Formats: sequence, C-alpha cells, structure tokens
Amino acid sequence: MTRSVRTLMVILGICFAVAAAASQKDAVPARLPAIPEQRVTFNRDIAPILYHSCAMCHRPGEAAPFPLLSYKDAKSHARQIAAVTQRHFMPPWLPEPGELKFADELRLTAGQIALFQKWVDQGAEEGEPSDLPPAPKFVAGWQLGQPDQVIKAEKPFVLPASGSDMYWNFIFRTPVDRTRWLKAIEIRPGDKRVVHHANILVDRAQTARRQEAQPGAGFAGMEIKIASETFDPDSHFFFWKPGTVPLPEPDGMSLRLDKDTDLVLNIHLQPSGKQEAIQPSLGLYFTEQPATLHPVLLQLENDRLLDIPPGDKNFLVIDDFILPIDVDLLAIYPHAHYLGREMQALATLPDGSVKTLIHIRHWDLNWQAVYRYASPVALPKGTTVTMRYIYDNSDQNTANPNDPPKRVVAGNRSSDEMAHLWLQVLPRALPDSAIDPRRILQESMARHTIEKNPADFEAQYNLGAMLQARGASDEALQHFALAVRLRPQDAVANNALGAVLLATGRTAEAILHFSAALTLQPDNFDAHYNLANALALQGQFREAIVHYGAAIRLRPDDASAEANLGAALAEAGHFPEAKLHLERALRINPQQELARDNLAEVNRTLNNPHP
Amino acid sequence: MWRARHNLRVFRFVVAILVAFSLAPFYVLYSTQNSAMALDGTASDPFQESRGKLVVLVFVRTDCPVSNRYAPAIQRISAKYEGQAAFWLVYPDRSESAEKIRQHEREYKYKLPALRDPQLVLVKLAQARVTPEVAVFDASRHLAYHGRIDNLYQDLGRARHAPTTHELEEAIQAVLNGRTPPASAPGAGCFISDLE
Repeated sequence: MTRSVRTLMVILGICFAVAAAASQKDAVPARLPAIPEQRVTFNRDIAPILYHSCAMCHRPGEAAPFPLLSYKDAKSHARQIAAVTQRHFMPPWLPEPGELKFADELRLTAGQIALFQKWVDQGAEEGEPSDLPPAPKFVAGWQLGQPDQVIKAEKPFVLPASGSDMYWNFIFRTPVDRTRWLKAIEIRPGDKRVVHHANILVDRAQTARRQEAQPGAGFAGMEIKIASETFDPDSHFFFWKPGTVPLPEPDGMSLRLDKDTDLVLNIHLQPSGKQEAIQPSLGLYFTEQPATLHPVLLQLENDRLLDIPPGDKNFLVIDDFILPIDVDLLAIYPHAHYLGREMQALATLPDGSVKTLIHIRHWDLNWQAVYRYASPVALPKGTTVTMRYIYDNSDQNTANPNDPPKRVVAGNRSSDEMAHLWLQVLPRALPDSAIDPRRILQESMARHTIEKNPADFEAQYNLGAMLQARGASDEALQHFALAVRLRPQDAVANNALGAVLLATGRTAEAILHFSAALTLQPDNFDAHYNLANALALQGQFREAIVHYGAAIRLRPDDASAEANLGAALAEAGHFPEAKLHLERALRINPQQELARDNLAEVNRTLNNPHP
Repeated sequence: MWRARHNLRVFRFVVAILVAFSLAPFYVLYSTQNSAMALDGTASDPFQESRGKLVVLVFVRTDCPVSNRYAPAIQRISAKYEGQAAFWLVYPDRSESAEKIRQHEREYKYKLPALRDPQLVLVKLAQARVTPEVAVFDASRHLAYHGRIDNLYQDLGRARHAPTTHELEEAIQAVLNGRTPPASAPGAGCFISDLE
C-alpha cells in the first residue's frame, strides 16, 4: 500500500516579472556647445537627446501624448520639455545615480537638462540642417519579431473617461498542450496611452481565475495572490512600462510553461478623459532549451509595522535579511503605494562594506518598475540586505489618497500601504551538489518571516511544507501544528498536519485532522486519500474504501487512489471488485508496481479460492 | 485721384473701428485679422455671443494630456451652470485645424462651442499660461478669475487622487452671487507660450 502524502502546497506571494529595457543602450553625453557663445540649436544639441532618451515613447502609436521627432514637435513643447526635465518628471526614472548601474538607465545628465533650458532661453532655434543626426530607427509591431504564438485577452476592459487610477487583471489561458520553455514574453498592453505599467504573474494552479465573475472577464485589484501546489520557486520578472522593449531571458534561464498554466496580466490604468477599451495581447517566444539556471525571488517586507498615523511625514519601516548562501543579484523591484516617499535597499557585506542596491529619493507609484542591473551583483553568504522605506502620510504628500490624511495600515487596496522589496537572485551552486540552494534560500526566508511575525499563517505553513519535503518531519510537525492553531478552519493546513502525523506514526491523531479537513472542505481529494490510507493502516478497510471511493470520484484518473482502493477491497475480501480497480490503476499508469503486485496476488486468490 | 484714394482709405478705416465697437463696446477691439475664429473660419466674439451670461474661456490643446484628462470635469461643470455661464473651448495652437478640433471634441465628448485662437487674442485677454487654464468674465466683461480649474495637479506629473479645491466653480458662484472671486492660482499643464 502506498503512503504517498500529497500536501506540499507552497503559497507564494506575488511574483512579479520583468523584461524592462529601453531600446537604445549607449549613453549620449551632453553636447554642450564647444564655444561658449555658440547658440543652442535643435539640430545640433537637442535632437540627439530627444532621439536617445525620449523618442521611444514620444512617437506615433506609443505611450506619450505627443511625438518629439521633429523640430516642429519639439518647438511646440519647448518650455514644457525644459520644465519636466528640470523636475525629473521626464524621462521617468526613479533611482538616484549610484555605484551600481542599471541596464538602460533613462536618466538625463545635469548638462543635458541645462541645455534644454538654454535652448528655450535663446529662442528655441532650429539650427543648421547639416547638424541634424539621422532619425532613430524603431521596429514596428512586435519588438522581438513575430511571436511563436500570440494570445489575446478574451474580453476587453472598458476604462471610464474619468476617475482615479485603476488596476485590472486579465487571465490568459496558455495555449500549450505539453510543457514548453519560454525565452521571452512580449506584452502588448492595449492602448499605451492609458496603461502605466503591466506585470505578468505565472499561475500554475489556476488560482486567480476563481476571482473572475465569469470566465474571461478578468477582475479588479492592485495586488493579487497566487498559490502553487509544488515547490517551484523559479522566478522571472515580466514587466512592461512605456518605452521598453522586452529583454529575452539570459541563456539557461528560460521559463517553464506547463499545460493549464495561466498567465495573469496585472495592469495599471490611468483614465485619459475619454472612455477606452483595453484588450491586451501577449506574444510568446519559445525555446527548445530547458532552464539550467534557476533564479529565485527573495522578498523583504515588513507590512506588519505599517500603521502610519495621519500627519506623520517620516514613518520608517525596515527589514533585514541575512543571505544564507552566495548569490548573484540580477534585478530589484521596490514596491510601496501612495504614501511611500523614500526607498533604499542596502547590502552590508561580511567585510563590513556597504553597497546601495537602489535609492529612490522621490517614490512615485505611477512610475514603478523592475530595475535590472547592468551586470550581476555578487552578494556573498552572510550579507545583510536591508530594506529602508520612509512614508509620508501628511497632506503635503500630493499622492496621499486621503483628504484629510487618516491612519493607514497594510493591505492590498491601493489606499492601503505596502512595504515590499523583491530581489531576483541567482543562487551559486553549493559544495554539496545534492542540496538545492533554492531550498536553503526559501527556508531562510520563511524562518525570517516567522521571526518577524510568528502569527503569519502562510509562513508557518510554507516552512512546514519545506521541512517536510526534506524529511525534517519533527520540525515540520511543529510548524504545521502552529499553522492549524492560527487557522483551525483551514482544510489544507489540517490535511498537511495530518499527513506529517501519519508519516511519524501518530495515526489516530492524523485521522482527527483529516476528518477535520473533510468537514471544512468535503471535496478535498488529498484529505480523502490520506484519511483512507490512515484508516487502512489501522485495519479499518470498510471505512477506507468509502474515502478512496470519494477520492476517485474527485479525480477519476488517479492511479494511486485506484491501486489503494484495490488493495483495501482485497483486504476486505472483495476480490472481483479489487481486481477491477487494480486493473484500472494499471490502465492509468502501467508503471504502478504496487498495483501489479497486488493484482497478481488477487488473481492467485481468485484462481485458487481455497488455498 | 490721389485725394479720392486717400479719402477712401480713411473712410474704410473708420468703418472698421465702428464695426469693432459695435461688436464689443466695453472691451476688446476685434477685427477680422485679429480675433478668435469659430471652426467655420469666421471671426467670433464669445462676449457678443454669450450675451446675458458670464463667460468662461477654457484653454485646451488636442495633444495636452493634462487638459484632456480634464475633459469630463469641464463638461460636467459647464452643464451644471448652463443657464448662467457660457463656456467656450479655446484652442490656441494655430497648427490645430478645425477638422482636428472637431475630431477632438467628438473623442472627448465635448458639447461646447470651440474657438481657434491662432493670434492668442483670447489667451492675452485671459492671461492664460498653460492648458488647461480657465478665465471667468463677469457680465461687464471684466476678468474675475483666471488660472487653474482645481488643484488636481500640484505640478506636472504630480496629480492628487481627487481635487481638494475647486477654483473654477468658486469663481462662477462668486460672480453670480456678487462675492469676491478666488485669487488667481496658476494651472499645471502645457505651456501656451510654446505655441508662439
């Protein structure tokens, strides 16, 4: 009789995903006039900056409200250009300059900004035609070429003409009938003028679609939660913001896409003054190369500390995490809502040196982004990563959603707050190659979360699941027990606790928790199956048969359930019926050895009724 | 011959002034070369055509994201004061054709009369700096308020979730009720001086 225990369910937080990259890479130095008296002209001085840093969005069909390709375009917005660059509102780029460089930084130099103002002050002249550099070339349509497959949202979302910002989730049913590997996903968000940014979340267990009122309708919300039934910490950022060209994943870092995996596109929309129908598409680019490198998303957070009094201008939230292994940091994604003001992530290395991973002095949720480092940042084991966020809940914060300000705590609505920092890291291989470094990281993260908040149900559950997976049943038992104490009404946690009890020989207690799980959720396959196993183990075959039967009604193609039902029927003396189910188990899975052995035994008994 | 021509010139000159006076006796001197235009290309004087109501000029551009985002608010406020205030959309960009403006009005569901102001006559009169800004003129055509519609935008790129002050509506109500209108508050948006 098998004793397989089906409980591992790691509830992952939101995994955001990237591919942020601007289209042109080489920085253009400020072209200050060589002779001090030389007048600033469009053709010689302004056009190169616009072509490099503005035109990817300021061209027809892209996100910006007007093009900036010709002298006429620039002239009719000259003061506006000078004003928005001086305020660092354009081009949108939040991080301060620092030691670590990001790929495709969109920051203008002080010299370039000064040049715009000088150009305006001197009359915004066109200059000599011979000075004009060649116009930038852009790829029309799909930026990575024709995708291998295009999937379109089933139904458009209609954005009202007015109101404040909105968040909408589209669910894409993936069109693969077997496991494939993706090297890139290109997001076409719909009308780029109203879409501020978009994120893809990989939903392997189709959990998000439960929130749809009708299939394909999508649903509102800024933050969503995706559950996963397997240990699957591979994490990719797929992120779209205006002006970006998707970056294919590096070699070896392809994303696994299984049959029945959903891709959830979370988009941030800003009403434009007219009603807009938004119907995004995704372009999928496949590769034959399975993943050999497995990046992990680490999340620092301290939402529990978020209880910001009205009027507080300097509310500080910190989280520290010590890396248990060597990693390479690939990308970073800081996230807060409207009260976030200043955000810093620091790495204190074991030698005491401090690296600023990112510093955003003036956070603006509208321009949030995933930032990918120009080259990976090596962070050795023992490095302390610190998240340091400052919130402004005063009326001087223009973005404050409350007028007058009121107490704000953590939550998923945009008017609630968040203190999250996501790091995409590539763990270095461990000396003992049998140990998966991802598990070490995940376990450390879960322990860290529990240290901050022992009442965190999901962290207790996840740690229990990870410990159980590596055979540390005693410790797993403690954490599942805590999880059940935190949420006695949770069927999955009761089932998991029962499973560990069963595995450690505490069958009677296990039966209590499986039964509790089934009272809470009568259609829980795992609980029926596990309870049947526990009952069979105690020799209660008649009761076991009932629960195997229930399990099979829930999943008719489960070979183990059929095999165990056959075994229980045989134990109860119902040989012809046992034969039927054992044969069915073998039809589903011809490799089911236990069913084959048991079937042979049943056949012997049937052929030889009086041994 | 020479004198006759001279007389003729003087005569025409005088007529032009008289016409201008009859159009706007208390305020601007309009001529066909120097006035705002209706979309059909004819000279148009919003003060003359809004007789009996106070006049609200709303300065917009087809390609200004800030004024576009205000379209529903502008339409709503104009409907609310329909009987008392005549609203005019004023497009100061001389490169925006009548056809482009008509299309813009359709897209953003504007139901207001539109004027082109390529000579920036109304812009100067209203002391408008950016789109969107508004100017409220009382019954005697004095400029009672000019500036932002409300404080939705604190600056370019810095919008509130909802405005907390409503200068345009306050100004209209102040003029209607004989109170002092709010002080001029500058708008945030697209510079009209970029169009000169």
